[in-house]
Amino acid sequence: MPFDVTILAPHVPFLLKGALLTAEACALALVGSLIIGLLVAALRTSSSPLLSRAAFVYVDLFRNIPFIVQLFFFFYGLPEIGIYVDAFTTGVIALSIAGGAFSSDVIRSGILAIDTGIIEAAEVSGLSKPVIFRKIVMPIALRTSIRPLGSVFINLVLTSSILSTITLNELTGSAKIVASDTFRPFEVYAVLLIAYASLTYLVSLAIGVLHRRLNRDRMPEVA
Amino acid sequence: MRYTSFTPYDFVLLAQGLGVSLALFLATSLIGLVIGTIWAVIRFYRVPVLTPFIAFLAELLKNSPVLVQLFLVFFGLPALLKINVTPVEAAVITLSGNTAAFIYVIAVSAIESIGRDQIESARVFGLSRWQVLHHIIAPQAMAFAVGPLTGLLVNQLQVTSLISVIGVVDLTKIGNILNLRTLKPFIVWTIVGGLYYVTAKLVALGGAMLEKRLRAHTAWKGL
Repeated sequence: MPFDVTILAPHVPFLLKGALLTAEACALALVGSLIIGLLVAALRTSSSPLLSRAAFVYVDLFRNIPFIVQLFFFFYGLPEIGIYVDAFTTGVIALSIAGGAFSSDVIRSGILAIDTGIIEAAEVSGLSKPVIFRKIVMPIALRTSIRPLGSVFINLVLTSSILSTITLNELTGSAKIVASDTFRPFEVYAVLLIAYASLTYLVSLAIGVLHRRLNRDRMPEVA
Repeated sequence: MRYTSFTPYDFVLLAQGLGVSLALFLATSLIGLVIGTIWAVIRFYRVPVLTPFIAFLAELLKNSPVLVQLFLVFFGLPALLKINVTPVEAAVITLSGNTAAFIYVIAVSAIESIGRDQIESARVFGLSRWQVLHHIIAPQAMAFAVGPLTGLLVNQLQVTSLISVIGVVDLTKIGNILNLRTLKPFIVWTIVGGLYYVTAKLVALGGAMLEKRLRAHTAWKGL
């Protein structure tokens, strides 16, 4: 059987629908993992040993257990305790929790890189702790860690393909259906591989632009 | 008739699954290490056509989901080339290639981490390019690479869990089987996750010990 991509043409709309679902899941998971990441990073850098310890355990656990195991844990476990949500919600929750562990590490190093003089100045000015965190620590930490956060996000996009194992027909799931419809798995998966690679390449380009824009006033030392 | 409770035999199953996961992890890491290092050496020699091709291949492998790569090898290759690929073969090919791509990046940066002046002075002493690589670059690059390599291996251990999707009976697949039989997802996935966690920690510990040994010559010995 010669390599022929044109047979995929009639299936493009179906694949695009899957891609849209992937995009939705990734966008929601990005927001979720950023929120979790910020919270956990705040806990890890807090002065309370108990809170920072708890945050460390969370990060350590979710970074060292395969995502597919976490996903099955939630997918089969949640109904067991009476929470009935669809595969999409389960997938977004699992992605957010796993992504949160990775992004909290990145944000934490962004926080630790902040010049202590800035925080001391804020304390002397009489700002309360929450205000210091929200108005001073968070903006600086987030903009310096945009690039590593970007690679966490790219990983999130690649990881989202695993959601196809819990019956969610996102991009990989739809490709599986097309492959069994057309009996041309090589063409389907080769195209899919290149699609994912170019997608993540575009994302990394966008992150580079965003990084340069956010840090334009401190280019010499960041660049 | 179905055993819904756990039996002592389940421990044997779990141990078997862990063994399969570990064996594939070790084998593919080793193959990936060899291939990735060869790619980096090809780059070091600046072989004309091969160098950009390898750079492109590594980018493609790094920026696409492992699940799609698995499907391409397991479903795609047999359809295109009319050959038989068993799940284990597909797993070995995919994971080795994926690991090689990441090791290539680490090896390249490790080689580049060695100062130009060292290489130049070695060349002045009349060492050949191969002798420089063998006696000057390799020992130092190894010490440099162990840290990132450990991180990569911990990650690749988790990636092995994906091969359960194409039917390799690894730890995750055993978890799936036990989960479907006992219908106790929390217990099953906690045990499976715990086993992965402990293994990942052991890999990290081994890497840290190796790094300490390789860096012994630069360690502070006291006055």
